[in-house]
Amino acid sequence: MPPQLSPELLEILAHPATQKVIATLDEDGSPRAVPSPFLHARPDGLLVHFELLETSVTNRNLLRSLWFDRKLAVTLVGAEGQTFVIKAVPAKAEISGSAFGRAFETVRSVLGDADLAAVWLLRPHAIVDETYTTRKRDEEERHPFSIHLDRLLVPRDQATSDWTKP
Amino acid sequence: MSRSVTSLASRQAATLAEVAAAHPDVPRLIVLKTDVQRRGVFYTDRALSVLDPKIHSITGTHIFGTRDGKIAPRPESLLLRDGTSIIITPTALEEDPYVVDLVDGQPFLFDGGHPLEAVDYWPAPAYYGKVSRSGVLMKNIVSARPQRLVVNPSRTCTFWNNGKGCGFCDIVPQTKKGTKELNIPVTLDPVEVAEVVAEALREPARFSALFLTAGSNVNGAAPFDDEVETYVRVLREIGKLFRTKKFPSQLMATAFSEAQLRRIYDETGVMSYTADIEVLDEVLFSQHCPGKAEWVGYQEWKHRLVHAVNIFGPGRVNTGIVAGIELAPPYGFATEDEALSRILDEAEDLARQGVSTVYIVWSPRPGSVLGKQRNPASLDYLIRLAKGLHALRVEYRLPIMFDDYRHCGNHPDTDLSRLLNFD
Repeated sequence: MPPQLSPELLEILAHPATQKVIATLDEDGSPRAVPSPFLHARPDGLLVHFELLETSVTNRNLLRSLWFDRKLAVTLVGAEGQTFVIKAVPAKAEISGSAFGRAFETVRSVLGDADLAAVWLLRPHAIVDETYTTRKRDEEERHPFSIHLDRLLVPRDQATSDWTKP
Repeated sequence: MSRSVTSLASRQAATLAEVAAAHPDVPRLIVLKTDVQRRGVFYTDRALSVLDPKIHSITGTHIFGTRDGKIAPRPESLLLRDGTSIIITPTALEEDPYVVDLVDGQPFLFDGGHPLEAVDYWPAPAYYGKVSRSGVLMKNIVSARPQRLVVNPSRTCTFWNNGKGCGFCDIVPQTKKGTKELNIPVTLDPVEVAEVVAEALREPARFSALFLTAGSNVNGAAPFDDEVETYVRVLREIGKLFRTKKFPSQLMATAFSEAQLRRIYDETGVMSYTADIEVLDEVLFSQHCPGKAEWVGYQEWKHRLVHAVNIFGPGRVNTGIVAGIELAPPYGFATEDEALSRILDEAEDLARQGVSTVYIVWSPRPGSVLGKQRNPASLDYLIRLAKGLHALRVEYRLPIMFDDYRHCGNHPDTDLSRLLNFD
């Protein structure tokens, strides 16, 4: 069962200030992360990435992922630092038809004389909350051995001279 | 990286899964596409019940006929989820084709009763329902693939006048049928063609290429001058629509002389050129393409392709072969290994001189000389051929974007070249 995109995540995804990045794998396994400014979600939970250039490495990487079952990731960073990593696989590349035509017009309404190579539909399979405040709280609760001791010191102005703990 | 299905008997009987497993470097979708082209498809009534001419492209506009010989409302072709087309002809159930049926309302390819892969019917462009100035449905003047406009300025071939049409071709019988049953014009008025193209291009982002092809025409002061004249007139009218001298386009035609090619390139906006040699063996060429052999000849055909590179540029000239006729009895190669070796040697001779080779899967049609045969090529052979042709493009750095999945969709070997990176 694919994970559901939460209302909070959908809100971040739709917010114009959100930074959206898609990371794919090059042929040699190197990661490649590039902006995906038009990234959005469909009502059925699939993510939609507009690929503007036919011969871009990301377009090839997405095709390689679809053909050979390689994973990709999308990172969203909201205006207030909320950060989500969505692991996904390409489900489909649309290159023609009414949805493709609408996507083309959307791209051109923003960029002017631009083109569109493919509308990639991405199926999420895992969502990770990487928001710093959330991760910090989790880290400190679950992994206390990684905390630097000086962070745990009693503040100097509250320290007692005989080292007696309150 | 890959194995091959070893014995000839096991090659012929190998299933889709076995061939895909033997070639892990080839996407399963491309193996499937190739096999669907090889075996054809049959549409169930349920699959046809969701076919809507307002939304989908319907068979009938193609210059060649169907494997089952019928003109009936069926999907023109299919799209896979990687954007690749499967260009197929409907095939009688007795010939063991793949079946297209529905799963939850979505068309699916089935084999042996098992659903294999979701497919989409080709979307119909907005202009398809409109009528031209001469009262003909616009789709019968200019037809469409998912990203390509197709113009057939003349749907006849003079090689047939003395019985020397290509053995696998049914252009003349299909034209007679299409003229009678669908009111498709045999020849087109260039001005009307340009008007239809202009109407088609009103739809945003629908088309990224224009493609012209017709049957050969030996007439003129020099052989094929009349054919050249036809293309030039149509391309010049279409060219008036664009603000650039050249526009993304492909001419698939007879192998013309250097002077004829120079004229086409200089006087029109066409950007790429294809002259199909059909089979890469001189003896088989003469047997299967007697008209081409009579008027041009195998060696001269190759020579003209190479000359075309000087005019159109590297990566903008190719030739097509009909995969499977090289194995057809009684003249064909005795083994697939022998055929593959011969074809790839000849393709390499062209590739090192800048000419790409692409293939289509031979689909015997009833209106052709070889129409009663079945394509003897195994799926394993067709995959090895696709890999071999793709490897030549890698070795000789030949881009093939003008004849790729967006602009044609009929070549498994150019599908593999989607991952080519010459940057």
